[in-house]
Amino acid sequence: MFDNNVFIEGTCRNVEEGGKIIGYEMQTHITYYRAIPLSMINFIAVETDGEKVPAEDIRFTPDRIDWFTLAEMTTVTGIKWEYDQAATVRVLKEGGLSSGTHTVHLTVCTRTAYIPVPLEGNMTRTVEIR
Amino acid sequence: MSRIKRSVSLYSLQYQYMTGKMSLEDIFRYMKELGVEGIEILPDQMLHGTPEPEEETYREWNRLVEKYDLALACDDVFLNTNLYMNRTLTKRECVALIRKEIVMAHRLGFKVIRLVSMVPAWILEPCLAEAERNDVTLCIEIHGGLGFGVPKTEEFLAEMLRLNSPYIGIVPDTSLFCRRVPRVVDNYCRTLYGTNDEIIAYADKTYENGSDMFALGEGRGLDMDPTLKSLIRDPKKDFFYAHNLSGYENRPLSCMDPYVKYIRHFHFKLYEMTEEGTENSMDYGEVLRYLHEHGYDGYVSTEYEGNRWVLPDRPIPEREQVEKHQALLKRELLKIQGQ
Repeated sequence: MFDNNVFIEGTCRNVEEGGKIIGYEMQTHITYYRAIPLSMINFIAVETDGEKVPAEDIRFTPDRIDWFTLAEMTTVTGIKWEYDQAATVRVLKEGGLSSGTHTVHLTVCTRTAYIPVPLEGNMTRTVEIR
Repeated sequence: MSRIKRSVSLYSLQYQYMTGKMSLEDIFRYMKELGVEGIEILPDQMLHGTPEPEEETYREWNRLVEKYDLALACDDVFLNTNLYMNRTLTKRECVALIRKEIVMAHRLGFKVIRLVSMVPAWILEPCLAEAERNDVTLCIEIHGGLGFGVPKTEEFLAEMLRLNSPYIGIVPDTSLFCRRVPRVVDNYCRTLYGTNDEIIAYADKTYENGSDMFALGEGRGLDMDPTLKSLIRDPKKDFFYAHNLSGYENRPLSCMDPYVKYIRHFHFKLYEMTEEGTENSMDYGEVLRYLHEHGYDGYVSTEYEGNRWVLPDRPIPEREQVEKHQALLKRELLKIQGQ
């Protein structure tokens, strides 16, 4: 039901820091209809070209100010992912994605207080890296 | 003479807002253009930092309310009881959160809070003084599948009767009065998941016969109606459809009789406005007549939820649906109360 919120089209790109490509990132909206603190994100998962990205290589930020690992996020109750905020999911990978076409699948899963099942959204996009 | 008023829950325009097509000011302006009397909002959706936003957020809110001169019908509040993955919030933590929401509602100018279904009844007594001080009424939502006959909601209703305060009430939702399964739900599940025709036909028939899947399932203490369950041929294709049906109840209006004086606001949920200008699964005329006959003079609020049932990559017709729905409410209210 919230699949369309996941993985904003055209946002996947390599990330350069200190003259080196340290990984790649993409933007996504929340799989819910309201803001929640980051501790209520059940998990984020990325699969690139059929290969699952290790959870410890994923970083998340709702606002590009504070970045968290998935394990750290479970205790972040003072920072919210606002409903209209395009958050960033970054994958740490030396060299990033090679130039050419890649298939990137993003899963965002949140939990809510009154819906018994977590709200999972999925989106696969074909990404062009130049 | 009582007069029912029209409002729109800004929830109905959530994708316009999320994708940046409409700012909060654009939405206020649009509401004014539509001639809506009041608005309802989920602060968690459109006001950053809820329940303790920055002063700038309040200043901007006050500016918009003053400029567009819209009445504030209802503030939709949530309680994150599962804030942490390893435990549920304690009673003290829950009460503290609801108190913050009451203060925020008052600062925004709301007099009615809709508490989402499943908020525990025990928050009421410890929050009552704060509600009185801020002149805000705490109302539980009575939604299809989560309302009458559901233990947590029944506990809330019992506590409401016990405390008998003008600051505690209910917000019913028209999903209690679905006379058929919303067509958009059938189409969505058939197209996207390949849900089998037999299970869809069985569900449709059940509503035609005046019953519903909540009454045959959870309402009888079962996890699901046994016949419905037997028609799940392939869980991947059929389970979601079957499980979701309990949210559409087919109750008589008389289920509200014992609680009618506690109604402070009313969600007029819609799934699909048809070409003919009616809603596909509900008859608002009967609900409005009931409310009018019982002297209700609060708001009836457009809550578009067909947005969930638009197929991927199709445009969501939020504005069109809201406009048609408001036109329908206006027409029906004119028949019943002359304005």
